[in-house]
Amino acid sequence: MTERSTILRQNVLFWGGVGGLAAVFISAIGMVEVFDGRKVIDPWLSLGYLLLLCIPAAVGFRVSRRVVLEGVAGPVPGKHDIVAGAATGAVTGLVMAGFILLTDAFDLRGVLVNVTPALLDLLTFGQGSATGVLIIVGLGSVLGAFGGAMHLVPARTRSLALRAFLWVLLVGFVELLLGNMLREVRLAAVDDYLFNTSRRVPWYSALTVAALVVVPSVLFRGRSQKLRARFVALSAPRRRRIGFLLAAVFVIFGMVVPANFGPLLNEIMTTVGLFMLMGLGLNIVVGYAGLLDLGYVAFFAVGAYSTAILVSASSPTFTPELAFFSAVPFVILIAALAGLVVGTPVIRMRGDYLAIVTLAFGEIARLVFQADWLKGAFGGAQGIKVDPARIRTMFGYVLVGIGLVALIVGGLRWWAARSLARERGEHDSRATSGAVVAVLGIVAIAVGVAFPDFATWTARGIDTEQIFRFALVFVVIAAFVSWRLEDSRVGRAWMAMREDEHVAEAMGINVVTAKLAAFVTGAVLAAFGGALFAIKIGTIFPASFKIVQSIIILVIVIVGGMGSLRGVALGAVVLIGVLGGPSQPGMLREFEEFKLLIYGVLLVVMMLKRPEGLLPSARRTRELHQEEFLQDAWIKAKADEIEEHA
Amino acid sequence: MASLLEIRGLTKQFGGLRALGGVDFRVEPGEIVSVIGPNGAGKTTFFNTISGLYPPDSGEILFEGSDVAGLNPDQITRRGIARTFQNVRLFPNMTVLENVMVAQHCRTTKGMWPALFQTPGFRREEAEIRERAREVLGFFGTRLVGYRFDQPAFALSYANRRRLEIARAIATQPKLLLLDEPTAGMNPRETLEQTELIGKLRSEKGFTVVVIEHDMKVVRNVSDRVVVLDHGVRIAEGSYEEVSSNEDVIEAYLGRPATKEGA
Repeated sequence: MTERSTILRQNVLFWGGVGGLAAVFISAIGMVEVFDGRKVIDPWLSLGYLLLLCIPAAVGFRVSRRVVLEGVAGPVPGKHDIVAGAATGAVTGLVMAGFILLTDAFDLRGVLVNVTPALLDLLTFGQGSATGVLIIVGLGSVLGAFGGAMHLVPARTRSLALRAFLWVLLVGFVELLLGNMLREVRLAAVDDYLFNTSRRVPWYSALTVAALVVVPSVLFRGRSQKLRARFVALSAPRRRRIGFLLAAVFVIFGMVVPANFGPLLNEIMTTVGLFMLMGLGLNIVVGYAGLLDLGYVAFFAVGAYSTAILVSASSPTFTPELAFFSAVPFVILIAALAGLVVGTPVIRMRGDYLAIVTLAFGEIARLVFQADWLKGAFGGAQGIKVDPARIRTMFGYVLVGIGLVALIVGGLRWWAARSLARERGEHDSRATSGAVVAVLGIVAIAVGVAFPDFATWTARGIDTEQIFRFALVFVVIAAFVSWRLEDSRVGRAWMAMREDEHVAEAMGINVVTAKLAAFVTGAVLAAFGGALFAIKIGTIFPASFKIVQSIIILVIVIVGGMGSLRGVALGAVVLIGVLGGPSQPGMLREFEEFKLLIYGVLLVVMMLKRPEGLLPSARRTRELHQEEFLQDAWIKAKADEIEEHA
Repeated sequence: MASLLEIRGLTKQFGGLRALGGVDFRVEPGEIVSVIGPNGAGKTTFFNTISGLYPPDSGEILFEGSDVAGLNPDQITRRGIARTFQNVRLFPNMTVLENVMVAQHCRTTKGMWPALFQTPGFRREEAEIRERAREVLGFFGTRLVGYRFDQPAFALSYANRRRLEIARAIATQPKLLLLDEPTAGMNPRETLEQTELIGKLRSEKGFTVVVIEHDMKVVRNVSDRVVVLDHGVRIAEGSYEEVSSNEDVIEAYLGRPATKEGA
């Protein structure tokens, strides 16, 4: 027993200290103060306080967390959990108190610019440092006890409460977007109810949101699991068909709806699309072929610059002023060439060496675009001005073209399958899919014809809504390409190369071609992103293509799940949509200053807790959890054996 | 009849180490030849040089009459030489079926565009690849079929990994199979089975086989001819009986008996 209490005391001190340091850290870097402006529940709980006060509760919970072993009954939760939580919270409070007293006694602003009197005021709840210290220690232990008490609550209730809480938080965060959207779809009453006049969430709407989350999940308890189980039990082709259908619905939704999102969400979603595009491209290079490319931004830059030169009226020397979609084929060609140029010299490199060399290539690309002696072509540090209002798109022609191809392919397929079915007297599913493709083709032609301003040579001007639609089209193309290639001869060659290059070669795979194919495909997808970036941003200049872009694209792929399309898509939405891109705003504008910090923390946490990513591919999960897999397989084999004997 | 593989004066040097010092070697179609020799004799280097992993320093490697020395491994595999590795080198995170499917790369042609548009030709080829993979795995009885198709290669037992490696080599549709210690690390029963399998590779599949092997029982049972390497040179060649009684061979394996002028 004494041994256990020593361990517990050590734990209390450790986690209390960790909590205290975290709290001091987020205060000292200014997070608390900046986030104080955002009221989660008006008027008495701001995001800053919330962040601060979450810490003692979290460490209070963590300190008596148990490792659950299968077949071993863990210690029963009880009062001691609350006591331990309170003690841990108090330690956290004490560390904070120390920080408050220190700030009060000395002026730390010379070292830590963010430690302002306003911060001190916040931390002491405006009561002066003596009372404030008492409050914070007391509050710390109360919250710690609350965290500890969570062990006494059933896990389901706990997760439900957490979910409700997060939803309230989310509604508070996206207030502007939600308001815009609600007003666009004529639900202003809902908006008025949710947010008060200062556009903040009052307590009653917070409660409503929480109830909206809790009530259905209590009512439909277990339903979602059943639904999921039924989905998993479906045969693979049917599952794929459903997935395909969902994706199609999503895409059509995305094509129709942007008008109702308001410009801000539109902007954010376009940025998400841009990075999703590059994430998908890098996923082919890194996730499929296993070539760690740290200079991926180079292809993005190539795409952006070639588009800018081809479409802009103010490019320095060469001004063909093409329409956007007639420039795209050239951009693809140039990007493919760039892929070859970067790919060829690094063919014989692998692993770390490849990473370093590509890193250098990324920087070289930026410096080339910046160079004074190429100022005549790329405009040097000032870059190239692209005026979106003066660009023709020809999107209508593209739609009509795509529609015609779809009509012909789908029609032929339908016709062939139907005549086959007549011979055999049974229905062929290909007839249906062919008909669907053909109908979609007709729809595309109709849309292309119905919006002549996209199509005519003379109309000029691109707005964010259109760019979002283009982004969607490109993302669909990228996802389609990745999906088809993964399960093909080329995709298998990439996989084999990733596993063991020498053996892949000995098994008859030409690694030179395979690598170049990966580089070129990746480069083209990144160039799509660059092309969109060029017509969206207004001016293309070298500073937009810094190394941090490459890193963030890689982080998207890693956090989302390497080799998994859904994962990369989710990664882009989470990282870029919520936090914002390196120079683009996300939904949480307050995070702006702390973006890189949060990226870093997220990456570290993911690597420790879930290295396979948020939505990993089955293969990658297997790879990173070989031992668990083997154990499961062993247990399954044993169970089968026993069954056989029985 | 022309030899399937004819090697003349093959040398390979690693810095100051002469791994192969002018090896002459010949395999007739339909033969099973064993290559034996003590550790460090250059057997695996010999295989690596034939299969193109190392370019030879000098010498000729004539396969079906044309020189393949200096070609890339994938080109050599395409010509019809497949191999396994001494320290089993599968693609551990690919499934059993995928391992065999990927090995058909050099016998198939459909690239990116057909894959993107799922042309009828592409579908047909994919179906064929899958079918052939199942067929090849079926060659090993029940060991690599059924639920094993979709297991990752790392989940296989050691013996099954060796079998899968052979399956993968077969899937490249070679004329000549180079097996590098196919029974290493197997128990006596598995070794026996593997020995029979090597025989079947010739009798049922019609492959010509070159085996590196340490287990003399296996060597005696499978080989038409035995070639002994030591220090990168061929020191003996002949039937198992001839070779096993050869003075030089015994010396290479057991060392020179201590004599007065020796030491």
